[in-house]
Amino acid sequence: MSPPAAPPETPFALVVRAGNALRLSAVGAPAVRAGLGVGMTLADARARCPTLQTLPHDPAADAGLLERLAAHMQRFTPMVATDPPDGLILDITGCAHLFGGEAVLAAQAVADAGLTTRHAFAAHAAAARALARHGRAGGDVRDLPVTALDLSADALSGLRRAGLATLGDLARRPMAGLAARFGADAVQRLRAILGEVTNPIAARQPVAAIGARARFAEPLAHTDAVLDVLEDLLVQTARQMEARAIGGRRFVVTLERSDGARRRLVVETGLPVRDAAVVMRLLRERIDSLSDPLDPGFGFDSLTLAVPRTQPLGARQIALDSGHGASVGDDSVAALIDRLATRLGPANICQLRPRDTHIPESAQQLVPATSAASPWPTAAGRPLRPLLLLDPPAAVTTITSFPDGPPQRFRWRGQVHVVCHAEGPERIAPEWWRRRDGHIPGQHGLTRDYYRVEDAEGRRFWLFRHGLYEERSDPLWYIHGLFA
Amino acid sequence: MFQHAPSAVARLPLAARAEALPALGGGQLHEIHAAADDWAAALAFAFAAIDAAGRRPVMLVHAARQAVLSMQPYGEGLIGLGLDPARLVLVEARDGTGMLRAGLEGARCPGLAAVVLASWRRFPEYALTASRRLVLAAERSRVPVIMLRGDAEPRPSAAHQRWLVRSARASPREANAPGLPALDVELQRRRGGASGGRWRLEWNDQDGCYREARNTTATQSAGIHDTPLSGAVVHLSAVRAGLAGDVAASRAA
Repeated sequence: MSPPAAPPETPFALVVRAGNALRLSAVGAPAVRAGLGVGMTLADARARCPTLQTLPHDPAADAGLLERLAAHMQRFTPMVATDPPDGLILDITGCAHLFGGEAVLAAQAVADAGLTTRHAFAAHAAAARALARHGRAGGDVRDLPVTALDLSADALSGLRRAGLATLGDLARRPMAGLAARFGADAVQRLRAILGEVTNPIAARQPVAAIGARARFAEPLAHTDAVLDVLEDLLVQTARQMEARAIGGRRFVVTLERSDGARRRLVVETGLPVRDAAVVMRLLRERIDSLSDPLDPGFGFDSLTLAVPRTQPLGARQIALDSGHGASVGDDSVAALIDRLATRLGPANICQLRPRDTHIPESAQQLVPATSAASPWPTAAGRPLRPLLLLDPPAAVTTITSFPDGPPQRFRWRGQVHVVCHAEGPERIAPEWWRRRDGHIPGQHGLTRDYYRVEDAEGRRFWLFRHGLYEERSDPLWYIHGLFA
Repeated sequence: MFQHAPSAVARLPLAARAEALPALGGGQLHEIHAAADDWAAALAFAFAAIDAAGRRPVMLVHAARQAVLSMQPYGEGLIGLGLDPARLVLVEARDGTGMLRAGLEGARCPGLAAVVLASWRRFPEYALTASRRLVLAAERSRVPVIMLRGDAEPRPSAAHQRWLVRSARASPREANAPGLPALDVELQRRRGGASGGRWRLEWNDQDGCYREARNTTATQSAGIHDTPLSGAVVHLSAVRAGLAGDVAASRAA
């Protein structure tokens, strides 16, 4: 299953970290010819074959490739099962003649896979698997070596010491003795390969998309009638979702007009829902907020409802004291946020999220309220911060009594404020590590000196001087926040 | 109303209780007027009325186009006021009508701790009808609805209370540093009660709420009680009790 990443003649292997050593987890054909094998440490392998090229092994990508291959193999038979990490089992009962025989089908499947593969046919899955992995196509399962049982190394060496080399040798012995010595598993596997017990495969089932569709003999010209049909479709999809214990996060309605025009309505929810009434309210909101209204023209021919994004949603018990339970409150707030997000756009319903930086305006971030909340740190021991942050900071003109001190008075929005009390400075250095050339002295940006000041009317402001006097000769003053 | 109050308040004579700061109760609409420079004080006064220990979200609706100053609530500052910033849901409406609609939706939702609408200057959409709608929605859901009015002329509305909030000079800390938040509040109108009271409130860091300042004499324009009791601890924590406090008050009555 390893994708060839190097020219075919270069020895190539995938490595995986096992304990403290890097070991080969898959080797290409040239590497095998060079005497390398799976399980060898990378140091040994390099000693034998200095030209060895390696890449780290990615099991997740392998599993994804196997899934894609399995989906692809469904063109040969509907009954396809994966045999992780690198096998596929196809039940081709009654399918082979469509492709001109078993051998032709296998050749096509191998060509489709585009990988170096081995295959085998047998009357049942376990035997086919054992033949493909440990024998050769068309061989007899009784001639397979005992390694086909996939037992532990101890059990295998025990079998070999007892002089049992093939499955045929084992099959001639009484099963009770084998079970007593090597475990019931060994007997189960042996009997499965020999076909004495059934070994069904769990064929992968394609998951049908959630959706519903209504076609009309006559075009529907009234929007209200369309909405009624839509509600019916929502009830249908709700039943489909209930059967699978999922709820929809995104609902897409496609309206096809008789003149060929198409309209798409999309609503999204913050929590998975399958309640038709809730989605209906969102859709009505969406229709209300359309810039050009839903024009039926000569009528709609068909309506399609799709639920492309779903999430698990179990059945929920209705609370006896309907009303003040926590879950009910959460639900109604989530529904409110969804309604407002549908009307005003998700970017306009925000919540505050902390960010790990000491630059005040970057220390919080507005994120859509439908995303998961993140906890805020407690304020204990931190310097006071304003309740409101001006965005952007407003420039003020100031008079200071001495260069490094707080301002004596400042002018903001055409009004002079006389500073009575001041606290500071709280020096906030720029994030030089985020700047290009920030490590060079003089290039790290301007330091800010923050002061908390109170004016004669009792208003408290958060002022800062942008730059120290050694950084620039005439640093500007800004007002950055308002304290309560 | 006095269920959650400290015992010191319960021991006050009845007369002092009548002077106590009226609560920004649940299920009501309150108007808070402030100048642009005092906006933070008004917002703090509104947030102080919200149950700090609860987990229910607080909805803050604003319209960017209307605002005089471009600013946003600052999470770490909210923590200082005892409000978890993660509870705040910021809704930005396109215009005044959108803001009222969003506020009305919020007022109908019993899962919210409060709905705060921030509006500025002339706001013709917010008149008797619109405010009455908010009142009806709030009465049904028992959610307090607070309308902040910045730089605005008071106009007739159906609000239960109308407050005027100004920043006040705080008692300075050592080294001439500005003290804890302080504000002057004036109850300009009150439905079914005496209005005209003025209070000087100071933030109490230990209790995490506003308390009446001890050493300043609050002017009493209502004139019912001529001398304020010395050391009267008039609390806003009853405001925090919200619905439960109101129920307790009605039982006590």
